[in-house]
Amino acid sequence: MARRYDSSTTTFSPEGRLHQVEYAIEAINNAGTCVGILSKDGIVLASERRVTSGLLAPTKTSEKTYKLANHATCCVAGLTADANILIDQARLRSGRYQFQYGESIPMEQLVEYVCNHKQSYTQYGGLRPFGVAFLFAGYDDEHGYQLYQSDPSGNYSGWKATVIGANNSSGKSLLKNDYDPDGDGTMPDMVTALKLAVKVLNKTMDGATASTSAEKMELFTMTRDANGEFLHKILVKDEVQKIVDEVAAESDVEMAGGAESSQ
Amino acid sequence: MSILEYNGAAMIAMAGDECIAIAADRRLGVQYQTVSCEFQKLFQINDKTFVGLAGLATDVQTVAQTLKFRNDLYELREDRKMTPKVFSSQLSALLYEKRFGPFFVEPIVAGLDASNKPYLSGMDLIGAPCFPDDYVVSGTCTANLHGMCETLYRPGLGPDELFETISQALLAGVDRDALSGWGAIVHVITKDGVTTRELKGRMD
Repeated sequence: MARRYDSSTTTFSPEGRLHQVEYAIEAINNAGTCVGILSKDGIVLASERRVTSGLLAPTKTSEKTYKLANHATCCVAGLTADANILIDQARLRSGRYQFQYGESIPMEQLVEYVCNHKQSYTQYGGLRPFGVAFLFAGYDDEHGYQLYQSDPSGNYSGWKATVIGANNSSGKSLLKNDYDPDGDGTMPDMVTALKLAVKVLNKTMDGATASTSAEKMELFTMTRDANGEFLHKILVKDEVQKIVDEVAAESDVEMAGGAESSQ
Repeated sequence: MSILEYNGAAMIAMAGDECIAIAADRRLGVQYQTVSCEFQKLFQINDKTFVGLAGLATDVQTVAQTLKFRNDLYELREDRKMTPKVFSSQLSALLYEKRFGPFFVEPIVAGLDASNKPYLSGMDLIGAPCFPDDYVVSGTCTANLHGMCETLYRPGLGPDELFETISQALLAGVDRDALSGWGAIVHVITKDGVTTRELKGRMD
């Protein structure tokens, strides 16, 4: 029955659904996982790198994480080609705002602009929607560090921590328990946030063993230095390995503790 | 009075031994009335590239903001810093885009390329560039500045000597021009960083 109403973006089904948009959202659930976590003094974005062939000659530093402005970054789950268009749009919007007002664009306005652009492909023109979900991370003076998630429908929401891409539901359930374990509203520090991100990726990545997983993980942090300048950093292999090892060690301790108590 | 002389300016950039210096006055006037002694005419694009904009003050500021926008976009898209040569080409193209309604600025570009070799360029208000290897000048007293530079300049000066040379050339050049002066600022760029100094000159 959905057959008749699913080939055009701009047609509602009798149940009031836009099937093309829903299919686009499905495309992202097969894409490499991205985790975003807000910490006290910065933001962590961790992504699963899908293609790690030794034959790959990388031209950019990343296929998942992209800088949008001095104060804003995003990571991508979905069709990279679609993402490139939207990322360029976001960079232009941010640059034009800076030119016009002499200050950095507030995060929500940047997110809303990209999302409005995505939405227009669900209502006009007979073009398919963008098959991309983003995690936008950034800072503005009004609201401090912020994390936003957006999907192909053009819908967006703000989060303290969230997951998009493959196995995002199991990632989210882990975050629900571990992001704020005491339930008192305190945010983790950067180190804790990085370890939590690795823990989430370990859970969402299929068949990841400790030896291969560090190569498949891309860890990104955004913090501020003493002069107030923003530092965008993609961790190098050794730094990633160190955190992966620490997380593995901690979970071994937990397992051992669990095994003892069950005896 | 010509539109390019409405606000007044004087600037020089010189090449030394693996270093460059760029200097400008700080006067902002409305014809003969001086309004500010702190007006910025030199703009840092990145660690190794500076641009000086002489001409109508509103266009100085708009062009500077536009150049920042273009530079930021370049760095985001290409994930690298712009070299002075590329920056100069872009500035020239930007000015020519407005060929029949130009920005009233006459810029100078100074920087160090990837191998720390000095790069200089100067252009007119519609983007016609020249690429000398000794010095470039711009502003309302270019005749004075050319005279001083031709006399004082020697190739292969180190950062400190270059600073002295450019400062003396600028200060002497602006003294015979009513529309420039009222303070001066000098940036010296080497591979290790930028040193900025303010000059004490006649405030008239």
